[in-house]
Amino acid sequence: MNESATLLLKFEGGLPAEVPAAPNVPGLSIASIGQSSQFNFINGQSSSILSYNFLVRAAQPGDYTIPALSAMVDGKTLTSQPLKLRVLKSGAPTAESEIIGKNAFLKLVAAKNEVYLGEVLPLEIRLYARQGNLRQQPQLSQDGFTVGKMIQQPVTKTLINNQYYSLLIFKTFVIPVKTGRLLLGPATMLLAVPHPNARVSVFGEIVDWMDATLTADALTIEVNPLPTNNVPSDFNGAVGSYSLNLALSTNAVTVGDPITLTVQIGGNGPIESLTLSSLDTWRDFKVYPPITKVETTDQFGLGGTKTFEQAIIPENADTKELPPVSFSFFDPEQKSYRTVTHPATPIIVRPGPATPAQPTIVATPTPSANEPKPAADIVHIKSRLGTLARIRAPLIQQTWFVALQGLPLLAWLSVLLWRKREESLTNNLRLRRQRKVAEIIRGGRADLRRLAAANQAEEFFATTFRLLQEQLGERLDLPASAITEAVVEERLRPRGVEEETLTALEGIFQTCNQARYAQESSEQELAALAPKVESVLRQLQRLNLSNLNDE
Amino acid sequence: MTKPATAQLRVFRHSDFGFLSSFVIRHSTTWLILAWLCAWSVARADDVSTAFDQANRLYEQGKFTEAAAAYEKMFRQGQASPALYFNLGNAFFKAGQVGRAVLNYRLAERLAPRDPDVRANLKFARSSVATGATPAPSWWQRWTSRLRLDEWTLLTSGALWIWLGLLTLGQWRPALRKSLSGYTATTGVGAVLLALCLGLETYNRFAVKSVIVSAREVVVRYGPWDESPNYFTVRDGMELSVLDSKGGWVQVTDRAKRIGWLRREQVLFVPSSTGSS
Repeated sequence: MNESATLLLKFEGGLPAEVPAAPNVPGLSIASIGQSSQFNFINGQSSSILSYNFLVRAAQPGDYTIPALSAMVDGKTLTSQPLKLRVLKSGAPTAESEIIGKNAFLKLVAAKNEVYLGEVLPLEIRLYARQGNLRQQPQLSQDGFTVGKMIQQPVTKTLINNQYYSLLIFKTFVIPVKTGRLLLGPATMLLAVPHPNARVSVFGEIVDWMDATLTADALTIEVNPLPTNNVPSDFNGAVGSYSLNLALSTNAVTVGDPITLTVQIGGNGPIESLTLSSLDTWRDFKVYPPITKVETTDQFGLGGTKTFEQAIIPENADTKELPPVSFSFFDPEQKSYRTVTHPATPIIVRPGPATPAQPTIVATPTPSANEPKPAADIVHIKSRLGTLARIRAPLIQQTWFVALQGLPLLAWLSVLLWRKREESLTNNLRLRRQRKVAEIIRGGRADLRRLAAANQAEEFFATTFRLLQEQLGERLDLPASAITEAVVEERLRPRGVEEETLTALEGIFQTCNQARYAQESSEQELAALAPKVESVLRQLQRLNLSNLNDE
Repeated sequence: MTKPATAQLRVFRHSDFGFLSSFVIRHSTTWLILAWLCAWSVARADDVSTAFDQANRLYEQGKFTEAAAAYEKMFRQGQASPALYFNLGNAFFKAGQVGRAVLNYRLAERLAPRDPDVRANLKFARSSVATGATPAPSWWQRWTSRLRLDEWTLLTSGALWIWLGLLTLGQWRPALRKSLSGYTATTGVGAVLLALCLGLETYNRFAVKSVIVSAREVVVRYGPWDESPNYFTVRDGMELSVLDSKGGWVQVTDRAKRIGWLRREQVLFVPSSTGSS
């Protein structure tokens, strides 16, 4: 039961016309699992074998008969023999299992049958086999124990009952975690062993293998509790045999500077699980959690050294020594507790450079009710994320922001310059007059052209005269009304104005006088005169009479 | 003769609504894009908020290292908040990394200088380090640290704009100059004082470089090489001022004015950029 068998239908020397169907046997489940072929060439003769494989499982124990199977080969009907199959209940010994047991068996061996709680118990799982291949590592039922690493040892040979067996040992250890009479095991192991009547190839190698589960009986282990008397106060469950060493990074420090305390516990036992008693009780020192490091000397991690490195900070310049450090454990060999101690270590603590001298406390003041108590822990985390902002440089490093600050400055400077210009204009009468006259001249020139086109001679000449007065008055810094033709001789010629300009100017003045007193001009004459007037006005505008000497 | 004042009453006609609806229809693509952007922004904010809540749950379960990793992951999106730095600081502190805790509390303080929780935890973290581990701030540093650097910048900028605006107005309208003179002088003085505070805080941020020890115990040497003799030892969480750097070494000074060199990878540099500063 719970096992399967394989039904093989072999055709040698011929091929069936069709795939044989699985036989139908009540109580048995027979299913095709494929076919295989084999070609042999022996003594010059070749042969081929085609095998059809069927998996056979039984639902109930009992005796079954698989009927003969028929197939058509090369026109002939071939028939196999019926087969009997006995299905046994699970666990019932079979001839086959007995054969397997003679070829391979498993044994569980413990170093002793009585241990203390927490004591390491070395264990071996021994495989004896005449032939076989490992399918998987041994499995151990370990209720009430913790199991360590399992390490396979090299294969050796051993003689049992005049038979040589290969011996493969798996070494490990267990640690009991509860007291009482405990069962350790059984141990099981899956092995591939030769099938009874297995075929052998031409090379002498076994062809037919089958899986076999080997079982080693469980062991009874008596686990004793640790003694309850004379238990050291700092005992925290370590079982084994250990020693203690201590070292300091320095023995002379300033208050507030750290000292690295290195404590090494070495010996035999579960080194990795060792813990050192807390040093938080040390007064005058601030102690930080240790960093641990384990170095093992054996492959199981049951021997070696565990190092505890922790920082301690003397807070008082009066501190003279480091308190003793101890480690307690139960030694199963001596069946008693032991404590290993490193005595107090003298140190020198110098006062800090910014630390005032310690005041002498006469009386401890009662803390005021209004004074907040010093915090015992940090404030808890915030439950709300708040407003997220992009991680960026501050505004003052942003080019655009700095440039933006130039705007009001620029605006102010612009307005300031404009204001200064306005004020300078206000204070500079000549400049103002110059600009005003320039505007008058601009408008006057347009008037001249219009008047000339309209043949309005009187207005034309009046405008011409007015424009000359304005321009000459501005240039000579005289009232416009004071300007007459005489100014040419009195003011301009002595200042060295070009003769051509003077001649043109005199001509225009005369023309204006003549027009005032009688002469009429035609539209063409006015039109011809207008550009001359404009030209003279432009020349007068460009005169820099301040550079010209006045006689 | 001036015209009498009139009031206008606009009657909305159907054609107005027709115009609005046709406007909406014509720009429907734009509206859709805007709506999608809004929804995407809200969804993204939800993602970040969810990640924050998950990190908080890890913290409350006592998985401080995992919580710290989860908080740090949120920074990869290029955004930060005071609460994020604060919680990260808490996670580091609980995980025993005091130096990283102090750094994140300081960054949280930059963004929220008036948050009492941030100040309290920073103080607590600093007190858990050896006495004298933190250089005491000067009076002006205490004063300028009340506001964020960006707050000082905006205040100074605002005062500057107002002051220059008043000056500009005075130039443009000289008649108002006299009546504005008091305000101009006040804002000018205010702008100068604010600029001074801004300058001090900027100096504090960029000119005064500090580092925080992140290794459990670090030996500070006389010189920047491994063979140099030991001078003094500093511990995780101590804050030191940086004087110089050379290759992989940094020259630092502590509160006791001792100067020495230590390896760059053993300290954390306080960055100049955080979230909106």
